[in-house]
Amino acid sequence: MSDLKELAVHLVELARSEGAKDVVAQAVQSDTQQVRFSNSQIDAVNGWSERHAILFVAVGKHAIASDLRSPDNYDELAKRLVVQAKKAPENEGYGGIASGRFKYKPARIDRAIIGLKDPSKLVHEAISAAESEGANNVGGTLFVRHQRSGIASSAGALATDESASVDLSVRAFSQPEASGHALSCSPRLSRLRPKETGAKAGRLAAMAKNPAQGDQGKSDFILEPLFIGGLINSTSNMMSAFQVDIGMSMYAKKIGKRVASEEVTILDDPVSDSTSRRAFDHEGAPCRRNVVVKDGILNTYLHNTSTAKRFKTKTTANAGPLIPTAFTTAGQPLPFHPVVVPGDWKVDEMIADTKRGLYANNTWYTRYQNYSTGEFSTIPRDAILRIENGEIVGAVKNIRVSDNMMNLWKSADAISKSSEEIFWWDEAAPPSTLPTARFRGLNVTRSS
Amino acid sequence: MLDEDVAEATLRAIGSKATVLLAEVRLEERNMRGLAVKSSQVSGLNSLEDSGMNVRVVLPTGIGFASSNRVSRVEGARLAKQALRLAKGGKRKSPVTMSSEQPVRTTWAVSQKRSLIDVTTEDKLAFLRELDSLVVKTGVKVQGRYYELKDYEIGGFFANSEGSRIRSFLPRVVIEASNIVSSKGEVAKSIREWGASGGWEKVDEWDLGRVLPAEVRMLKNQIEHGKVLKPGVYDLVCGSEVTGIAAHESCGHPMEADRILGREMSQAGRSFVSPDMIGKKIGSKYATVIDDPTVPGSYGYYLYDQEGVKARPRHLYKDGLINEFLQNRETASRMNLKSNGSSRSEYYLREPIARMANTFVAPGDFQEDELIGSVKDGVLMRSFTEWNIDDKRYNQKYVSREAYFVKDGELAGPAKKCTLEITTPGFWGAIDAVSKKVELNAGECGKGDPMQGMAVCTGGPMLRLRSVTLK
Repeated sequence: MSDLKELAVHLVELARSEGAKDVVAQAVQSDTQQVRFSNSQIDAVNGWSERHAILFVAVGKHAIASDLRSPDNYDELAKRLVVQAKKAPENEGYGGIASGRFKYKPARIDRAIIGLKDPSKLVHEAISAAESEGANNVGGTLFVRHQRSGIASSAGALATDESASVDLSVRAFSQPEASGHALSCSPRLSRLRPKETGAKAGRLAAMAKNPAQGDQGKSDFILEPLFIGGLINSTSNMMSAFQVDIGMSMYAKKIGKRVASEEVTILDDPVSDSTSRRAFDHEGAPCRRNVVVKDGILNTYLHNTSTAKRFKTKTTANAGPLIPTAFTTAGQPLPFHPVVVPGDWKVDEMIADTKRGLYANNTWYTRYQNYSTGEFSTIPRDAILRIENGEIVGAVKNIRVSDNMMNLWKSADAISKSSEEIFWWDEAAPPSTLPTARFRGLNVTRSS
Repeated sequence: MLDEDVAEATLRAIGSKATVLLAEVRLEERNMRGLAVKSSQVSGLNSLEDSGMNVRVVLPTGIGFASSNRVSRVEGARLAKQALRLAKGGKRKSPVTMSSEQPVRTTWAVSQKRSLIDVTTEDKLAFLRELDSLVVKTGVKVQGRYYELKDYEIGGFFANSEGSRIRSFLPRVVIEASNIVSSKGEVAKSIREWGASGGWEKVDEWDLGRVLPAEVRMLKNQIEHGKVLKPGVYDLVCGSEVTGIAAHESCGHPMEADRILGREMSQAGRSFVSPDMIGKKIGSKYATVIDDPTVPGSYGYYLYDQEGVKARPRHLYKDGLINEFLQNRETASRMNLKSNGSSRSEYYLREPIARMANTFVAPGDFQEDELIGSVKDGVLMRSFTEWNIDDKRYNQKYVSREAYFVKDGELAGPAKKCTLEITTPGFWGAIDAVSKKVELNAGECGKGDPMQGMAVCTGGPMLRLRSVTLK
């Protein structure tokens, strides 16, 4: 039994002995290294090391969670948390924790990632490759991540998990308003492609040179996986039953109904090989592949045990963190690894098949007027390339897509065969696996 | 209580090698309590007792930052070694430099009339349930009522190799209220935040028992009586919430020196502003935007930044000209300037970077009714819902949450979903009058990688913009 699993078991036993009924304890050791670079040089190398234990206790419906972050003090903090739970007001919506005789499939990690001595070398390779394609200013980040965890619960959860991954983000400029962005994310060091990633960003930056003012009105769009990553962020978040419950989702009352074109199938798949592969959710339920949207029809929301009870269904093993983090609410189900299932188009064919439209590399700042109806806007950034008669003929700038997210997914008419893992900052997160896709007739606006 | 000896021992472990330009150690402890209520029922309850430390070493070859949630001499020595190794890994061709700043030995603290830690969970729950009850009593159909309350204290001790020693204590309280109002088949959302540095007395000052019911009544009125604006050119009066978001997005962010120098280029982006634009025109003479961490009781309050530099007001835009960037020691050095105390980090596990604090438009001479009274055909946009801006901070969009037509100087009924989509010089150049009264609104600003949510305020007075296109 690993040290972390031992700690989790100990905390569960301790909390139970103090009078808690439901207990989940997850002990985590994470070590992260990040190389930040801009202007084609490394700015800073950052390292974070955390060892802590997240403890959830419930006495009846009196529930509370805490992040125990003082290793010398775990027992005292755990005992105090049970006392707090006993005094806490009832959480009427609390529906228990996942229970069962669980079987887990922990991953085998790539030890080469943990042994990586000089990540800055990979960064310099990416910068050089971008510059060789025409970039004159290159920035980005390289993350090297390693996490071990052990989980135990009073309802049968008992497991360990370990993950290691590398993710590289490269943004290259050829002119102040001409840029390209590319990513490489992998749980295998040998699959990281620093040269290819830098080269792609540089190539896009070169193609984006001398952008013209974009036009307002309707336009077809071919969106790269990175762009779709920015959209899937909010889209998949609205698939959380919690968001539906508080009126912040366009998917409310849409189970069994069309929410996308029939080309679109969306999964949440944290069990395939990826940077966000995980063995269990935050209640300790074994993670699984969930089909959320099948051929454009909404199949399920994402659930933890409590939301599943409210919606009279079963958990989808998507219990999210029990402690809030920046810009997230604690205790809500979350997607772990959204996947848009590939189609049968080649990207070249998609471009050739588009009479007039835009090919867009990336987006950011997606914001909603109304989550329950889906009105939103997002700002394409990096290469926005103009397509005429099936060919890329130039670049544009200063546009905004102002449309409805449900309509956007319903307008998808071509999905590429190829897909790639996407994880960029907070915009294209959580990690996802996405194709290139074409969306018809999106509304474009710009500053007056 | 943070053990200052750990910081001293850690600094000694880094040593005084000539190649070390600067070494910093920060110890931090944070006690946090959170409560969420959904439709009057407890939805979540959590607490956190956290402590940790970080070490930042600046060498000519690079900056190394190492952090951990353990605080001890042994951990300090380990982090010192790691930070030195990471700094060496930078291998920069152009050497890192830091601005020269005076060492400081001081203590600062925010006082509380009613200590946050003394407010029980039962009291907080009763308070949130009372708010919920008042919203329900309005009779407005509010299908989503979700209120989160978080309060915490941050204790810090900062020491650097130049002799600075700063102890700090900062209590904060913040409430976020989400209300989804529906009527006649339409839905409108309001997500608002109130935050302050201080004790529970700040919560009383917010008067939420009046404000939240008024908010849902307003949304119902907008849905039921709002008329769609005919797109065209109008005069626009911006309420303090709209003034504030513009100050934050199209002045504060583009004036961050790290962004201007490109350090955020692959995340939050660069800036339309370049280092040589100090003194260049950006707006009318009424465009003065200040970022001031020293506003007492404000959510973005601090007296010394996380590089130990004394905080002061920064006049970012002044009388329509680009005036001063938000600087930390690294960016200031690259521009041959002194830091103006803008270095902040969300917590001890994150590197400090240039950030805003409380960003607002300076007050003018007009009464609010004078601003509205001089508009023949226009719109008053009190607040916004959807908003965004491009990553060079030049093209922005604000869609109204609360807006009214103005005809011949009088409010003439609610206007629905008015949209201002405008360039940064277009916005700041169109102002021809500013009201006297400044209001601040709390918010969380996102920047950095990993993302650091930062407590800030945005705000200002009412602004009158002449002849802007509204959709």
